[in-house]
Amino acid sequence: MFRGKMPEDSPSTHTLRSFFITQPNGGREGESTVPGIDECLLEAMRLPGARGAALVDWTSGLALGAVGEFPGGDHEAAAAEAAEVARLTAEQRAFTPDGHDGPFGHEDREGAAGAADPPVEDLIISNRDSYHVLRFVPTSFDSSVFLHVWLARSDGNLALARIRLGEMAERLVLG
Amino acid sequence: MTAVRTTPPGTTPPPRLPVREKSAAQGQGGGLSPMLNRLAAERATGVLERERGSLYLAEGRVVHAESPLAPGLDVLLLAHGTLSPAVWQDAVERADEDYGIARLLLDAGRVPRGALELCHLEAVFDAAYFALAPSSTPGRFHYGARHRLGALSPVPVGAVERETLRRRALLDRLWPDPATDGSPLRRSEAVAAPAPTARQSAVLALADGIRTAPDIARELGRQAFHTLVDARRLAAAGLLSALFPPPGPHRLPTGFPPRHALPATGSPAAADPTAGVIAPGAPMTGAPAAAGLPAPPVPDAPQGIALPRVNDPDITLLKRLRDALEAL
Repeated sequence: MFRGKMPEDSPSTHTLRSFFITQPNGGREGESTVPGIDECLLEAMRLPGARGAALVDWTSGLALGAVGEFPGGDHEAAAAEAAEVARLTAEQRAFTPDGHDGPFGHEDREGAAGAADPPVEDLIISNRDSYHVLRFVPTSFDSSVFLHVWLARSDGNLALARIRLGEMAERLVLG
Repeated sequence: MTAVRTTPPGTTPPPRLPVREKSAAQGQGGGLSPMLNRLAAERATGVLERERGSLYLAEGRVVHAESPLAPGLDVLLLAHGTLSPAVWQDAVERADEDYGIARLLLDAGRVPRGALELCHLEAVFDAAYFALAPSSTPGRFHYGARHRLGALSPVPVGAVERETLRRRALLDRLWPDPATDGSPLRRSEAVAAPAPTARQSAVLALADGIRTAPDIARELGRQAFHTLVDARRLAAAGLLSALFPPPGPHRLPTGFPPRHALPATGSPAAADPTAGVIAPGAPMTGAPAAAGLPAPPVPDAPQGIALPRVNDPDITLLKRLRDALEAL
């Protein structure tokens, strides 16, 4: 599917990548000091090649926030489909690391740390023209949400997107 | 697709097979609440009170929602220690028209903005699902009423309605029998059932023949809709069944329960192992009263469910087949 042409700036792609990787985290201009959901998604949109970013609940399929464009042009439908993949990934025992006492263990309900501690960190899907990175968000209350970023394959940098999304997920709920 | 004519030309086509009310109710589409749409169009501010919950509007957008069936923001935030009860209580007491609870908590740095927005949005859509459920009484709107939480992240009315319809369709797709939504749940022996997930196991552990899915959600500090999803999935797997007859809307309290009115975990009825083994179809003599709930005035069976609720895998399969055929 082709939705909007990407700018033809391939010569700069390599320098662009290394530039972003070596750029120290934080201190960039325009960084919001109080990250709400929208600020977090807008920050995700600054990733190279970002086409769309959303925060999605994988139990209900609800998009809690979305910016940019999405496959098929409908961010609600895209969220519901991504949620289904995320749910299956989070629920399969095969993807759970050793020592993870139940993906969402409620054994010690008084223990504040990690009411929703997803067994999986992220999920990467690639196709001919794009990458999808789904980053599970751990929260101190019960939830089932992930950040979903759609990257154009020509400009997208998976390694950078993984690192940044991990930081964003943490900042979103820890401040 | 090839169209096949089943009636010879010139003859009267046979009458349509009877279809249960379910599909007719779904056909009404986006008009979940015409009143809500009118209020959104006139950019009204106030609270819309419906049978199963309330929607707070500010300038025509949904800023908050509450339902006795869905755990509130406070339950979600306090249950796992995100906030301490003292901090929440303090914010509730100091909140006024200008400084809502949300703003007080954020300004004091008690909770990160992202976490509060996330939890609040989830709570709003969760409560709205119940508030916008079909009701037998008309809704009332009180102009000017505001919630003490204050505006955090307003949501367009259209988005709330679309999501509510999508959630109904999702539940129907998982398992078309709505009995597990409001009836007491109990575990059942299943043949060759898939292993429940960790989240589902937590729900199963609390299914004692007395608690309903919303009760379990409250106890786990989880969104009620998430628990409805798990209950339907477990019912489809044969691991969970709803007790019959369901108390249904009869047991809904008329007013909202007081905040933190969490059901006691160690109620005497919960410890009674016989409560969960009531014969299917038999009137529940004691279980609701023992749980401290108002007994349903008339234990009438809901329309459309005339069969005794049994947990035979063959009958379950036949019912699924029937529902699938009806859905064609």
